[in-house]
Amino acid sequence: MSTNTMQKQTKDAAAVTSASAKQQRTGAGTPAQPAQAKLRLSGVAHQYGDGESVLNVLDGLSCTVSAGELVAVVGPSGSGKSTFLSIAGALLTPSSGEVQIGGRSLAGLNARELADLRLHEIGFIFQGANLLPYLKVEEQLRFVAKLGRADKQQAARRADELLERLGLTARRRHYPDKLSGGERQRVAVARALMNDPSVILADEPTASLDADRGRDVTRLLAERVKAEGKAGVIVTHDERILPYCDRVLRLESGRLRED
Amino acid sequence: MFLALREIRFSRTRYVLIVTIMLLVSFLVLFVTGLANGLGNATSSAVRNMPADHFVVQKDSDDRFARSSLNSKQIEEARAVAGTEGSEPLGVQMTTVTKKDSDSKIDIALFGVRADGWVVPKAVEGDTLTDSGKGRVLADRNLAESGVAIGDTIVDTATGMEWTIAGYTENQSYSHMPALWMNDADWAAYRSELMEARGGEQDTSYNAIALRVDGDQVKQLNASLTDASVISKSQAIMAIPGHKAEQSSLLMMIAFLYVISAFVLAVFFYVITIQKTGQFGILKAIGAKTRYLAGSVVAQILVLSIGSLAVGVALVLVMKAMLPAAMPFSLGGDTILLSCGLFLAVALIGGLVSVVKVAKTDALDAIGRAGA
Repeated sequence: MSTNTMQKQTKDAAAVTSASAKQQRTGAGTPAQPAQAKLRLSGVAHQYGDGESVLNVLDGLSCTVSAGELVAVVGPSGSGKSTFLSIAGALLTPSSGEVQIGGRSLAGLNARELADLRLHEIGFIFQGANLLPYLKVEEQLRFVAKLGRADKQQAARRADELLERLGLTARRRHYPDKLSGGERQRVAVARALMNDPSVILADEPTASLDADRGRDVTRLLAERVKAEGKAGVIVTHDERILPYCDRVLRLESGRLRED
Repeated sequence: MFLALREIRFSRTRYVLIVTIMLLVSFLVLFVTGLANGLGNATSSAVRNMPADHFVVQKDSDDRFARSSLNSKQIEEARAVAGTEGSEPLGVQMTTVTKKDSDSKIDIALFGVRADGWVVPKAVEGDTLTDSGKGRVLADRNLAESGVAIGDTIVDTATGMEWTIAGYTENQSYSHMPALWMNDADWAAYRSELMEARGGEQDTSYNAIALRVDGDQVKQLNASLTDASVISKSQAIMAIPGHKAEQSSLLMMIAFLYVISAFVLAVFFYVITIQKTGQFGILKAIGAKTRYLAGSVVAQILVLSIGSLAVGVALVLVMKAMLPAAMPFSLGGDTILLSCGLFLAVALIGGLVSVVKVAKTDALDAIGRAGA
């Protein structure tokens, strides 16, 4: 599939979902494809501080990301990108509003249940890959499968498949410090996908990569998101990778706006 | 275990260093423990291995057998409560002897007992103590190191009395001296000779009474005895000259070693844990639970401690086999197990700070960070 047709197809899909999101925001009607919406934030607000100096970081933010869709979230620093990612990633409970991941509302879940949900439903890709330095590439994947109590043989097959898809088969027995930056970030992508989550959240995944490698990683990520029907969100200020994303949302004054 | 072992594999040098430190500390702990036990035996085994639970000593004798003297009236009083089965008069006297036809002096502790009584230790070689065997005594095997064999005659330097070694017993020493057991007739004879030589009174026939009694009898005895009191076996052992001083200083060393190892481990793991705070944040973000991560830290501590203990124990056993027999060193399997258990407990206490640190790490740290 060429990038062009891919983009065209997904643009249509994006139009549908953003429409449904708009409907939601105004509170009119139910979403068009409830099963397809893997990540949904509605009316999310978050404040820091208390008393006189309240900082409203997010203020009635809503968005929906569907299966097979890769969305970029951009915005100046201090606009609340990290807070958005923390809330979407079930790391932070918003002051108000609702978050749904894989069709399940996060309201009322305790810390343990949230950890379980992160393990099974969310794949994180962090800024600097953040692999464990003492695990070999394939062990990085086996480890998250082990955390998720996955069947060993199934996990081994999944790891093999992901390593092959991401072009890491030859590197499977290497430690992270023997990999290039791009390879490390690809391992991070594989790790995020390992437990077959509904949502992939990437925090500036290309920040430490040069342009070519950044594009490479994003292209692979977009490919996997499409192929496996994940809802992908990339928080970034790297303009070069935006062409690989289906939609670009701008975070401004606490809300997400279609670019 | 998955993370614990792989991290040790990856950072080998770091962990080999800490294992070496722990190994040396655990070796020292075991060695000093063995020394403390050995010295404890050398000062007290004759009393410790006696099948008695309490002793009667004279009031104001500081619980010391050698300072206490009991007359026949007090022995009758004790017997009235505890019976013959529960009480055995005990003569204790430290003296110096020479092997006949030799000049080198040997310090010994004399114990005068009824030959058919229950305090007489078992002979492991030669004959045991009998009423009829006049002048035939039972000696601790350590006396053999001074060149005194079974059948040899020894001469008391104070009284000039002669005794023949009838047999050996084992683990019977008192205040670093081998114990020598004689029957009551010999004891009485020795005692009167000694008193005559010193010009003292005649009636003080024994020094203490070994008791096998229950709590009620102890109360009864304390009430009925005149000018004497009942002490427990451990009180009697603590009062043996030199015992308390040796044991308390060695115990202090051992206690300090435990404290030191706790701190060394605590600092090592705390520093490593602080270095890995970023990693723990990432792991929590991707869904690892605090319990899993804390378990991983604890598993590491256990692997390292057990590893160093195993080598430490092996080294101490090799050392033990190489030590000369005269060296007071005693380390039994139960003591090794107890020490290892304590060491593990101390290691875990040291690791507690790190576990708390892991628990406090926030998964939110993972977002917006450049590296772990």
